[in-house]
Amino acid sequence: MDLALIAQHLVNGAMLGVIYALVAVGFTLFFGVLDVIKFSHGDVVMLGAFTALATSAGLVGSGSALPPAIVLAAMFIAAVGGMAVFGALMAKFLVLPLRKAPTLNVLLITLMAGTVIREAVRLFYPQGSNPKPFPRLLPTGAWEIGEFTLRYDSTILLVTGVVAIVLVHLVITRTRLGLAIRAVAQDPETASAMGIPFHGTVLATFAIGSALAALAGVVNGLYYSEVSFNMGLLLGAIGFSAAVIGGLGNVYGAILGGFIFAALQTIGAVLLPIASAYKDVFAFAAVILLMAWKPGGLLAERSADRV
Amino acid sequence: MKALSLEIRDITVGYDRADVLSGVSLTANAGEITCLLGANGSGKSTLARAILGLTPPRSGTIRLDGRDIAGLAVHKIVGLGIGAIPEGRRVFPKLTVTENLRTGAYLVRDAALVATRMTEVFRVFPRLEERAGQLAGTLSGGEQAMLSIGRGLMGSPGLLIIDEPSLGLSPKFVKENFQVIRRINEAGVSVLLVEQNVHQTLEVAHRGYVLSGGRVVAEGTAEELKRHPELVAAYFGNHGG
Ligand SMILES: Nc1ncnc2c1ncn2[C@@H]1O[C@H](COP(=O)(O)OP(=O)(O)O)[C@@H](O)[C@H]1O
Ligand SMILES: [Mg+2]
Repeated sequence: MDLALIAQHLVNGAMLGVIYALVAVGFTLFFGVLDVIKFSHGDVVMLGAFTALATSAGLVGSGSALPPAIVLAAMFIAAVGGMAVFGALMAKFLVLPLRKAPTLNVLLITLMAGTVIREAVRLFYPQGSNPKPFPRLLPTGAWEIGEFTLRYDSTILLVTGVVAIVLVHLVITRTRLGLAIRAVAQDPETASAMGIPFHGTVLATFAIGSALAALAGVVNGLYYSEVSFNMGLLLGAIGFSAAVIGGLGNVYGAILGGFIFAALQTIGAVLLPIASAYKDVFAFAAVILLMAWKPGGLLAERSADRV
Repeated sequence: MKALSLEIRDITVGYDRADVLSGVSLTANAGEITCLLGANGSGKSTLARAILGLTPPRSGTIRLDGRDIAGLAVHKIVGLGIGAIPEGRRVFPKLTVTENLRTGAYLVRDAALVATRMTEVFRVFPRLEERAGQLAGTLSGGEQAMLSIGRGLMGSPGLLIIDEPSLGLSPKFVKENFQVIRRINEAGVSVLLVEQNVHQTLEVAHRGYVLSGGRVVAEGTAEELKRHPELVAAYFGNHGG
């Protein structure tokens, strides 16, 4: 294999890693503060992508010749902001009321909520059953470095994702909200006895996690130039696996898990060049082996000291 | 914050079905140390939890400086000026010492004020300053006790609720802890002190209550309680506290 191809795989792998990490961080944050697995998270990724799609359709359809940068910005803001609100609402009306219910019920109900979101998009978005082309709004050029070409659009998406991950890190480690999230994750009762509002912190956590999911959905749409109503199924499964690989509840574990899963897929694609459709099978099989080796995840921690 | 008074009238508190406390009344005067004594399982911690709103009472009233707080959310109650030093210390193990102290001042939005308070806590417990960047989970039991007390002071409370601060500590630490509690009170903070350590508690407390089986079986000034037949029989008789 030549160098250019290896570099191509690296960029592609990094891109996937960023997307998966963004999804996985949500899973791990929710588990951290509430001990729940929110199985509708993948469908929030999809809903974020469709929110962006609808925004661009609305702006372009209105006939105004807006510059692509403005349309893009509007798409990101609508998707990220919309899903932040949506995530907080789901926490308030779906997850928090089930706080005393068995974990299995929460799982089941969020699973059903995911189906509702998915089917609603399929039925109510115009021709929602078909894959939809996602607008190509990023600059199309590329840097030529020897044999290797680095596309502008990939670079922009990669940087966007990495910046988002760094921002999450800063929010969690440096801000008052981050302190509240970590305290609630470790000991919700004592946190509230210190004056930290439990409900408010949970809502904020779900808003952050869902905003990141929306970002993942938009980045994914821009990268593949296509979205579909069921894209959240695989992304949800991968994001969840990534969070578990890293050790549920650990934010850095989730990021690491996202990149590990992307690496596995990329290795799968390289090893099975003719049958690259099997790369997911390869990656998930490797995850199963990984979990057999480290059942608690790579950065496993006792439940008492999460996040 | 000025010292706050607490007036509990006839509360009933329970977890799932059975009532743990029934018809309990208690008054903690502003500026005093009020102690709550009683054997293991008599309901002392449940009473502390009821005040904080962690286990809200099923009936009865709890007044903080005259204002009924029963039924408010925990963070709202705490925000009225209560500092909590929970049973078992409950420091956040994966937060540093400094971060743990910050949680205690979560409702204080003035960063300069938080810094001042932290300096004050470090003056009382120099050990904590030496360990400022360390994760609380790596501290010794005595250091965690200091951290829990320091954290409870960070909000500058008018009433401090302390649940068994001496549990599991060496006698030397226990003695120091009681001195710290006395000094906190002398600085103008009302204290509700939950303890099993009868002798030392009655040395620092002004007034006190004795719980047994979820009911108040004795109350009075510290001097009166020292002579109270129930207490003398239960604690002073065979195993001197
Ligand atoms: N979280 C809880 N759930 C159910 N019962 C509890 C809980 N905490 C305490 N109890 C019960 O309440 C009673 C009083 O306990 P507690 O208030 O902790 O007593 P103390 O602090 O005086 O040792 C005990 O019988 C105990 O089993
Ligand atoms: Mg107790």
